[in-house]
Amino acid sequence: MPVSADYVARETATNLWRNRLMTIAAVLTVAVSLALVGAALLLKQGAANAEVEWQRGTQVTVWVNPGAGASETKAIGTQLAQLPIVHSCSFYTKAQDFAEAKKILTPSVFSALTLSSTPPSFRCTPSQPQDAQAVINRFRGQPGVYQVTAPIQSIHAMEKTITVLQWVFVGVALVLLLSAAVLILNTIRMAIFARRREVSVMKLVGATNWFIRLPFMSEGLIQGLIGSLLAAGLVFVLHVVLNYYGNPSNPGAVLTQMRMSGWNVFGTDAVVIIMGVLIGSAGSAAAIRRFLDV
Amino acid sequence: MIRFENVTKTYKNSTVALRNVSLDVQKGEFVFLVGPSGSGKTTFIRLLLREELPDRGRIWEAGREIIDLPKWRVPYLRRNIGCVFQDFRLLPNKTVFQNVAFALEVIGRPKSVVDAQVPQVLDLVGLSKKRDNLPSELSGGEQQRVAVARAFVNRPLILLADEPTGNLDPATSQGIMQLLDRINRTGTTVMIATHDAALVDWMRRRVVELDQGVIVRDQARGVYGIDNAAGRSAG
Repeated sequence: MPVSADYVARETATNLWRNRLMTIAAVLTVAVSLALVGAALLLKQGAANAEVEWQRGTQVTVWVNPGAGASETKAIGTQLAQLPIVHSCSFYTKAQDFAEAKKILTPSVFSALTLSSTPPSFRCTPSQPQDAQAVINRFRGQPGVYQVTAPIQSIHAMEKTITVLQWVFVGVALVLLLSAAVLILNTIRMAIFARRREVSVMKLVGATNWFIRLPFMSEGLIQGLIGSLLAAGLVFVLHVVLNYYGNPSNPGAVLTQMRMSGWNVFGTDAVVIIMGVLIGSAGSAAAIRRFLDV
Repeated sequence: MIRFENVTKTYKNSTVALRNVSLDVQKGEFVFLVGPSGSGKTTFIRLLLREELPDRGRIWEAGREIIDLPKWRVPYLRRNIGCVFQDFRLLPNKTVFQNVAFALEVIGRPKSVVDAQVPQVLDLVGLSKKRDNLPSELSGGEQQRVAVARAFVNRPLILLADEPTGNLDPATSQGIMQLLDRINRTGTTVMIATHDAALVDWMRRRVVELDQGVIVRDQARGVYGIDNAAGRSAG
């Protein structure tokens, strides 16, 4: 026997209204937990985008010993130019580096530096981002070389922070998702209890099991769906805010490097909505299995 | 219409509710199932509704063996059986019309059928004028009439009643019996579990007496107690 959609819609709406406080609690918990899941997913994609940006711009700086002679400096330059894994290099004199240091260092640190103690440097771009480490290994400890640096370590540190953050988000989200499922289960349980007379009459007059179950199933599903739509909205707002602050006019900012495309958000929202529907269905299915005796 | 063949039912606490019971009820019969509390009357009704399964024996209902019926077919079996209880089991937040209509709606009958059949059956039970009242606004007898209307609205082949007059005064009980008699005259088989002796004596229909799960009497036009004047017969 087909179950009329009109009947299911009417019964579901009645149940949701009857248990509206519990419904609101369940919907909000689903929304918050899924928004966290969405934020974690978005962050992961942003981090992936930023990593590409960072690696593309990876520079290896070969600092020449401040006391090195011109010939020694020239030899380092020649070696760098001949190395196939190095794409290009530009030479910064002591004066240029001193001026730069004045800009980026705090006054107290900078005061310890003098022009004569400032090392000149070669700023090199590797042919491939992953060649940076090879360039470092090749020049570290070479005569006349003071130090070789690349922002690889700080990139790794940043990635680590983002990964930890993601897991914290996912962990919190999992706990919240579980409580959302339990809340939905409880709402359905209350709905079943509120309608126990009707259910017993329905069984008596020969309503099919699916006819009895369906309004309760759809109730949980709708709670999950509404919660996930709210979460999807929050994820979209987060995306808009992040992209607003990650302005293209400020290419150095982390948020700019993390800029996410519309597809990133669309995909995340799709995952969030599917999860919401699944949680709603799982919560109500568990309640029906446990508390609805048909 | 109803056939029990060597049916035994024991509950988990090892109470034997029915012991090797065999019974035949023909289409259109009106049968009283009598006996003291705990004699097995309600178990009999529950077996017919397939709310319980027997330990041994077989049961046929409307020409179909119901013990081996798969669980998903049980609702379809119940559509052939109307049932009335002592406590009426009406939905308090629905009107008389809605209570009766509910029985049709939940088995997927279209609105046109509901709108045609519900007024008919309300007319039959004499409650046309109270169709918009809530159960709380009705007397006990009227509430039981609504329950009868709900049980009969789908034109079942069998109508079962478990102590239908248990909560009613004698005059009202007679009214309910007359109503069930009228339904029986439409060809519906009626089986009533009761220990209301006055009503059974007044109706003079077939009486099956149970005692401690065993059929001890089966009389064609019997009374509640043993009546030597009436001849014994097995239906």
